[in-house]
Amino acid sequence: MSTATTAHSATAPLTAHGHEILFPPLPYDINPRADSAVSNPDGQKPIHASTSGKDATRKKVCGEVFGEDYDTIRGLAGEIKQHALDHLDHYLEQFVDRAAAAGVQVHFAATGDEANAICVDIARRNDCRLCVKSKSMVTEETQLLPALAHAGIETIETDLGEFILQLDNDVPSHIVQPMIHKNRASVGRTFERELGVPYTDDPNRLVSIAHDYLRQKYLHADMGISGGNFLVAETGSLVICTNEGNGRLCTSVPPIHVAFVGIEKLVPRLEHLNVLLKLLARSSTGQPLTVYTHIMTGPQRGVEPDGPRQMHVILVDNGRSRILESETRELLRCIRCGACLNACPVYRNIGGHSYGAVYSGPIGALITPLFRGLANFKDLPHASSLCGACYVACPVKINIPKYLIHLRERMVDGGLSTLGDRLFHRVWGWSLRYPLTYRLGGWLQKIQFRRLARRNGSLTPNKPSPRAAYECRGWVTKLSGKFSGWTSQRDMPSPTPQSFRHWWRKREAGHGE
Amino acid sequence: MAPANQRVSRSGTDQHVFMKQVRAALGRGRTAEPPSSPVVDADLVRLARTGDDLMTLFAANAELSGMTVERTPESQIEACMMAWLTELGAKSIVMGFSDAERSAAIEGRLREAGFDIVEWRGEGGLAAMFEVDVGITDVHAALAESGTLVCCADECHSRSLSLVPPAHLAVVRQRDILPDMIDYWAFAGSKSPEMRTSSISFITGPSKTADIEGKLITGVHGPGRVHILLVD
Repeated sequence: MSTATTAHSATAPLTAHGHEILFPPLPYDINPRADSAVSNPDGQKPIHASTSGKDATRKKVCGEVFGEDYDTIRGLAGEIKQHALDHLDHYLEQFVDRAAAAGVQVHFAATGDEANAICVDIARRNDCRLCVKSKSMVTEETQLLPALAHAGIETIETDLGEFILQLDNDVPSHIVQPMIHKNRASVGRTFERELGVPYTDDPNRLVSIAHDYLRQKYLHADMGISGGNFLVAETGSLVICTNEGNGRLCTSVPPIHVAFVGIEKLVPRLEHLNVLLKLLARSSTGQPLTVYTHIMTGPQRGVEPDGPRQMHVILVDNGRSRILESETRELLRCIRCGACLNACPVYRNIGGHSYGAVYSGPIGALITPLFRGLANFKDLPHASSLCGACYVACPVKINIPKYLIHLRERMVDGGLSTLGDRLFHRVWGWSLRYPLTYRLGGWLQKIQFRRLARRNGSLTPNKPSPRAAYECRGWVTKLSGKFSGWTSQRDMPSPTPQSFRHWWRKREAGHGE
Repeated sequence: MAPANQRVSRSGTDQHVFMKQVRAALGRGRTAEPPSSPVVDADLVRLARTGDDLMTLFAANAELSGMTVERTPESQIEACMMAWLTELGAKSIVMGFSDAERSAAIEGRLREAGFDIVEWRGEGGLAAMFEVDVGITDVHAALAESGTLVCCADECHSRSLSLVPPAHLAVVRQRDILPDMIDYWAFAGSKSPEMRTSSISFITGPSKTADIEGKLITGVHGPGRVHILLVD
């Protein structure tokens, strides 16, 4: 593959089948992709720019709008989702009843394959040839497009980002901004190659090319496919939140609408939507609401001039009841706003494709191992510094760091960690338990690291003043064995000659600064 | 326990089996009636109140989202419409209003002025919608807190009117404006206990995308221009 023609810099090279990026051979090893991402600053730049920008916008907007209530309203949102999950049996039954009363055909899919089969069945029964589809993470999870293609049904992604990815045989790397890893030049080349239009890298032109191409498809499509952001139990309604308008078109123009929705999307009442909608878009892009919040309750009714004549909702389990079962229920609160991805220093550096799964970032590091097996994704719960930025950003207050540690514990308890790891952590844990061993460990580390820094010439001898003593440090550029990862991508500062504890004691005694 | 409303598709899992799995995950054999769901503290959630200057707040928030707002008295509606349509270079129009009499009057004036009012009901109406320049509608409600238009499907309004044409002209009257989304459910609920429409769209801005390098571009699939005539 020619790297000059793609902008996949932040990911491993594209394979012939784009979806292998999200469905790699198992067990998955994060290192090759993460390494290639961190050694490619050009690829990291756009991801950094976009995520840090969005994170700053979220903080600013939520701070201005909610003020001191920000934390309380997040708490309420979390409580609403938690309540719905704690009583999911009741709310699912209520939803099914009310939706059916409104004319929705509700289907139940225990697995992704079942969900796809239901959709293919509906398409075949109605002789559908062409489908238009709006963005849905669940359909990525079930690999719907290959299933429809296999059945001879053409499906076109209509979300601009997803459309470009589909043309490029690529896959999303962010829950909300699917093509965060691609630049305008690569889009221009894709359109030139796949749509036969002259090359341009002007985003306005590119959008208008996609607009013209997709517009007629809506009218000719036999079926529209969508995901769902929320299901409302009391009314049997489906809610989708989009900005481009393709979601509304896919669910309004074709004669059949099929929605793929995870069972965790339920909320009890319309009133609860207020709280969640006010947080969703602000957490995601800083908008008060997405441009379109579309609430659908059944297909076209008698007096209504348009709308689909059939509406199907496929309720997808696909591993969710497993997460619901255990102490991990809280994770199903997630409303897929992407705020934790934007806040995460690890995501910013390694990009979404490094997670080797549909859901990336902090929330992905938790739900991927639970969906697809802890033994298959042993690296993911460790792909975090536990800084907690994700927890602070989460609009439904999922305690992500706590669950990362929980999964690490499960790995140890389940015998998934190596003997060497366990031994190392045992010794480390023991040394942290007693002041004497802690100080001894710190001292040994200081001696060794300063020796290494002196050897590579980055550390010059101590200067007399206490301030200089604090600043007197060099760089450790290469560690060996188990510790080599610390220095494989960057240098590590050596400890100062004076420890914090030492400085503190002197300060207390009135000698320090 | 028999599921209340069983619908079995040829593929997929039986509702009974599916629900059993969910109940097992929750650690129970039968569906339990939940305690009352969390109370939404209106004081906490509300971002605008009845006492606020809702017209001004709505206009400011609508403009913030990228829509344009023009305030006008009732008598000047047609004149404002024509001025905007002319500026846009629009020729063909689809219209949907609840008030049939007012709608007919507006339609007459626009026809007189040479605009082509396209019939969108019935066979071929949806396809026609894809060819016109502007959709003109009133709204079911408008939200001051976010500058949002609420458009519902009913006998006078199709889903497509505010969606398919490349520009949307919305007439919003003072009485349409509610402070907050929280007020909308009460307002919609007071008309009927159930969802009376299959489609409610909260519209906050022109169609937007920032998928290409984060650059904000309007009009990708839905209307790229949304103009509001705010009637005093």
